[in-house]
Amino acid sequence: MLEIKNLHASVDGKEILRGINMTVNPGEVHAIMGPNGAGKSTLSNVLAGRDGYEVTQGEVIYKGQNLLELEPEERAQRGVFLAFQYPVEIPGVSNIYLLKAALNAVRKYQGLEEVDAIDFLTLVRDRMKLVKMDEQFLHRNVNEGFSGGEKKRNEILQMAVLEPALAILDETDSGLDIDALKTVAEGVNALRAEDRSIVMITHYQRLLDHIVPDFVHVLSEGKIVKSGDKELAKELEKSGYSWIHDAPEGQTA
Amino acid sequence: MKQLTEITTPFSEVAANSTLPGAQLDWLQSLRQQARGQFERQGLPAKKVEDWKYTSLWQLSQESFTHDAKPSSVTKAQSANVALIEQAHRLVIVDGQFSAELSQLDNLETGLTLSPLSTSLDKAENLLNAHIDVEKPGLNALNTFLMQEGAYLHVAADSKIEKPVEILVINSGETDNLATHLRHLVQLEKNSEITLIEHYVSLQDNVGFTNVVTEVALADKAKLHHFKLQHESLKHYHIATLASKQAANSEWNTNNISLGGKLARNDIHSQLLGEESHVTLDGLYLLDGDQHVDNHTRIDHAVPHTTSEEVYKGVMDGESHAVFNGKVIVHKDAQKTDANQSNRNLLLSRTCEIDTKPEMEIYADDVKCGHGSTVGQLDETQLFFLRARGLDEVSARSLLTYAFAVEVLQRIKAEPVRQALSNVIEHRLPRGA
Repeated sequence: MLEIKNLHASVDGKEILRGINMTVNPGEVHAIMGPNGAGKSTLSNVLAGRDGYEVTQGEVIYKGQNLLELEPEERAQRGVFLAFQYPVEIPGVSNIYLLKAALNAVRKYQGLEEVDAIDFLTLVRDRMKLVKMDEQFLHRNVNEGFSGGEKKRNEILQMAVLEPALAILDETDSGLDIDALKTVAEGVNALRAEDRSIVMITHYQRLLDHIVPDFVHVLSEGKIVKSGDKELAKELEKSGYSWIHDAPEGQTA
Repeated sequence: MKQLTEITTPFSEVAANSTLPGAQLDWLQSLRQQARGQFERQGLPAKKVEDWKYTSLWQLSQESFTHDAKPSSVTKAQSANVALIEQAHRLVIVDGQFSAELSQLDNLETGLTLSPLSTSLDKAENLLNAHIDVEKPGLNALNTFLMQEGAYLHVAADSKIEKPVEILVINSGETDNLATHLRHLVQLEKNSEITLIEHYVSLQDNVGFTNVVTEVALADKAKLHHFKLQHESLKHYHIATLASKQAANSEWNTNNISLGGKLARNDIHSQLLGEESHVTLDGLYLLDGDQHVDNHTRIDHAVPHTTSEEVYKGVMDGESHAVFNGKVIVHKDAQKTDANQSNRNLLLSRTCEIDTKPEMEIYADDVKCGHGSTVGQLDETQLFFLRARGLDEVSARSLLTYAFAVEVLQRIKAEPVRQALSNVIEHRLPRGA
């Protein structure tokens, strides 16, 4: 599904990612953890194709294709989804309009016709149940006036409608109280599938109590310094991130 | 054909020949003659006048205009095609002449009077020029001198008119360089309510000139939902004054949308004269090429406990130029005034220009007032978000531009009007959205 090889990336000439290596197979859930400033958000932005991030070395192969040479919309159309750490408000655009435009963009790439209005509503209503969202949210402007939890659920709703092959969840747990976190986690868990891979980026271990990953990677100073299974996250919870500076280099996945 | 500065000469003949309506009314004749003298003394407003600093009428003064419209051949189908709302009481003016054939004035709802000004002048003496300042630099005096047609709209007390009224002003383009001078009078009696659309269109892309004054009188508890859509040719000049006086507990919601025209100027004046009266003064301008639009608004809070809200938004592309000057005056005794004003602009090119000046003059001490203006470009984060959801860059830009513009329409409660205006705006933007 996704292969990241020796990925180096800079922002404003400052190197943030310093050689990331990682392989994500279909159906797997990977968690990337790390302290502030480790490069977590840079990694998700590079994968989604945001401007302002310069890849200086290495490559990212997605479904056999060089991901880095694609525009953000081409990545999305091919099944790459980024759930934003800070969901964006768009006054003047309703949620339902966005969902429909996004779904049709993906369908167009797949050579399918635009979605039928009734089928679309049936689909959206079904997916809203996953994240326990009320139908009135469809007619409100995208994220405008939403609470933190509503915004994050809205990201997962978009994921549920678009059914991506690869979902990158950037700090999806940040700013959520425990109930909201559970709702979001249940939504994500319902979307786990054999042909769908999920990369979760998080600072805290608590998200992983609710979405249990297959693999955990520790990112520090732009490198993955340790990889393991879910037990690694618990170790981190106990001892914090301070120990990773002492870990020998090269223990990557 | 004559230049505008020489315009009065042929028209004094026209007036003498009684082709202007109301020749039999002495009060009107003296009003016209007085106004003629005022215009001749004043001339066109010069740029040294503060209110006209950013808008030059030099080009307008260099064009030649005629007032003799050829009989037009606009068909019912053409008229229906450009109308904003199908289900409306409609008064149609083509090239400055009322068209009974194209209008829909049958089956007017009880309490509604809608008729051409030319046949309603006997009812107009107390309304005409009661809301505007003829001495003010501008074309109010010229309009008073030469007004030839318009709509007379009256709603009787306690009448809630269901269907909207559309005043459709069509420039057929069949007479080149035609100048028209229109006056609309709108009077709502106590506790009445109506939706009014003023709609200006061109059928061809040629030079023309519309000079229009709309006067609005709202009695106690009257509610007017008012829309002005200016969608004339890109060679057209449009100079307008819109002025209202409001009694206690009345409500005026107005939305002024400028899409067309080479040069458009709107002077909008809201006078809140009764307690608990409210005005919403919204506007939107979408400009491209060398279009120039100037909106000057003024709200007078003259008594305590009045409220106003004003949101003007603009999207500019090409080498277009927009001017916004919004004045809110809170008079000495107008305590508990609540006034909010904003002007937000989206610039899509490096060569467009906006001159924006929100102004507040506050002479009372217990008021809540806020104002501000912004000028910016499309938000890069929003753009990336939409692209990350699969929308290509052109569609994403287009959608965000549309969203910025259409926000002004979101407070319109009348669903058919909001939908119709949204459609017009969608089609006006590059590639739609």
